[in-house]
Amino acid sequence: MAAIQFRNVAKRFDNGKVTVIPDLTFDIKDKEFVVLVGPSGCGKSTTLRMIAGLEDISDGELFIDNKKVNDVAPKDRDIAMVFQSYALYPHMSVYKNMAFALKLRKMPKKEIDEKVRWAASILEIEPYLDRKPRALSGGQRQRVALGRAMVRNPKVFLLDEPLSNLDAKLRTEMRSQITMLHKRLQTTFVYVTHDQTEAMTMADRIVVMDKGVIRQFDTPQKLYSEPADMFVAGFIGSPRMNFIECMITKKKDALYAEFADHIMRIPASKSKGLEKYENRSVILGIRPEEISAYSGGLNVQESCVINAKADIAEMTGGQVNIYFELGESRCIACVKTERKISAGDEVKLLFDCNSAHFFDKETTKAIACV
Amino acid sequence: MHKTLKKYFPVFVVPVLAAFLVSFLIPFVMGIYLSFTEFRTVDASEWVGIKNYISIFTQDKTFLNSLWLTVKFTVVSILSINIIAFSIALLLTRKLRGTDFFRTVFFMPNLIGGIVLGHIWSLIINGILGFFGVDITYDPSYGFWGLVVLMNWQMIGYMMIIYIAGLQNIPEHINEAAAIDGASPLRTLFSITIPMVMPSVTICTFLTLTNSFKLFDQNLALNGKSAETSLLALDIYKTFYDHTGLRLAEWHGIGQAKAVIFFLLVAVIAFVQLRATERKEIEQ
Ligand SMILES: Nc1ncnc2c1ncn2[C@@H]1O[C@H](COP(=O)(O)OP(=O)(O)OP(=O)(O)O)[C@@H](O)[C@H]1O
Ligand SMILES: [Mg+2]
Repeated sequence: MAAIQFRNVAKRFDNGKVTVIPDLTFDIKDKEFVVLVGPSGCGKSTTLRMIAGLEDISDGELFIDNKKVNDVAPKDRDIAMVFQSYALYPHMSVYKNMAFALKLRKMPKKEIDEKVRWAASILEIEPYLDRKPRALSGGQRQRVALGRAMVRNPKVFLLDEPLSNLDAKLRTEMRSQITMLHKRLQTTFVYVTHDQTEAMTMADRIVVMDKGVIRQFDTPQKLYSEPADMFVAGFIGSPRMNFIECMITKKKDALYAEFADHIMRIPASKSKGLEKYENRSVILGIRPEEISAYSGGLNVQESCVINAKADIAEMTGGQVNIYFELGESRCIACVKTERKISAGDEVKLLFDCNSAHFFDKETTKAIACV
Repeated sequence: MHKTLKKYFPVFVVPVLAAFLVSFLIPFVMGIYLSFTEFRTVDASEWVGIKNYISIFTQDKTFLNSLWLTVKFTVVSILSINIIAFSIALLLTRKLRGTDFFRTVFFMPNLIGGIVLGHIWSLIINGILGFFGVDITYDPSYGFWGLVVLMNWQMIGYMMIIYIAGLQNIPEHINEAAAIDGASPLRTLFSITIPMVMPSVTICTFLTLTNSFKLFDQNLALNGKSAETSLLALDIYKTFYDHTGLRLAEWHGIGQAKAVIFFLLVAVIAFVQLRATERKEIEQ
């Protein structure tokens, strides 16, 4: 029920000596599920805590539901938050933990009871309602923490790495539960995570942050297919995108990318922005999963075949991760192949220029293709 | 490990057991026996039955007065010390500047012995009261409150340290969660902070309880000369040593009986305390 707007928000610690967030401007739409990702210490939690009101805003303005909230106390912002460390009240039963906020709002007992039981049934924690948090497993506590937020029906839902302490199976389960919760509650969700899979699968839009600066704010699909710069390109996708320095040259009427004894014709659709880089070097980015094993015969007009020597070959079920050196770059390719590949083997790999990305070497920004 | 322990069990236990017997158990049993006698020395005693116990409540007026005074003093001390110590602890966990310095300052009185404290405060209080022509030694109400002030001054620092430790055990996120849930600071204090430091409250309550109930040194030094401001322990001491003459044996017997009653009271407190802390531990 609420949009969130950051207007030139800055956050400094230690009397202004440490700037964590220099200047943040972005909009989260009503009912949107936005995920904040970025390396450790980039300011994700700080951003979230500013929305919650747990951190003062040093500069700029923050709006929730079109109301400036810079000086509004957390308790008056109508938000719910799930902490990474759960932050359950240890002296209260699960039931009381979930009912606490409602009791403070003087909701009738019967209504509180209905709400708590409704949340408990969704989260499957009904059997534990009378227990103290210490008698619960990590996953159960996590669900109580979610439940405590759910019963509130707040304007904004904030979650700070809520699944980071769970095992892989429970994490997958909770992921879909949270997505369902978002659909059901129809409120704005802001979710912080380290985990790319979480970000890619749950988000309507993702904010990629680095050192307190937004690098890109877009849909998961766009982040993957059109990363704005090398940081985003390297951050989204796993294993990370390969970066290879190459020279742009012009022969006849087409542009070519030359790198380490290889030459690859650049398709017309990608040539536009690259023209002014003629005879200059740029960074070619190609995702490991977009490299395939070459089995011969194909029309290789806008691609090139690379003879790589596998330094390491990791079998991961249906595919092989091949680590190899190309010129001065270390690269990874994830290929599907029937052949058994082991370290030291020579493999023929196919680079397809249609799925390649190009970045400016100095600014690291993506070179626009249109 | 277990076997070796068993083999050397007597070697470790016998010395302690012997010391315990000689210095505690035997005198204790003899003390109970002597409370039913009149005696000048330990081996010159004469059995009188429960006469001493009756005399405490009929002949000797000081005991009930002291008991009542001790109970009053204990209740006032527990409340004032704990409330003040907890408030200071709350202030000093607020990440303000200079808190380390103040923690040290508040703790310091605890390092000074009771007798010394008593004399110092008697000088201070009498110095001030002197302007108004009163003297703590002979005015029971000033004596009582003087003792409360002294006890507070000495114990608050110690209790404060225990409360600070308890408060620091509360994760910051819990307070933040309460703020987001909509709790005002006062509500957080009563619904979150105090329940979470309950173990510290129990410890501090019983520490102040036993310390106040058994108080002796400070009482003796501050206003020991007045019978009206003698707490139980001091009253027992006086029953023994403030009498001379023919009825000495009788007073010794009465003093001994008082000591036994005192022991029973302290034992009850200790027992309740044990049960209370045990229950807390199970809940934890
Ligand atoms: N109270 C504080 N005083 C000074 N610096 C702080 C404070 N809180 C956070 N920081 C700094 O702000 C930066 C951002 O912290 P933040 O917790 O927002 O990172 P994060 O992106 O959530 O990282 P992580 O993924 O590890 O949780 C860090 O460099 C941190 O050291
Ligand atoms: Mg964080």
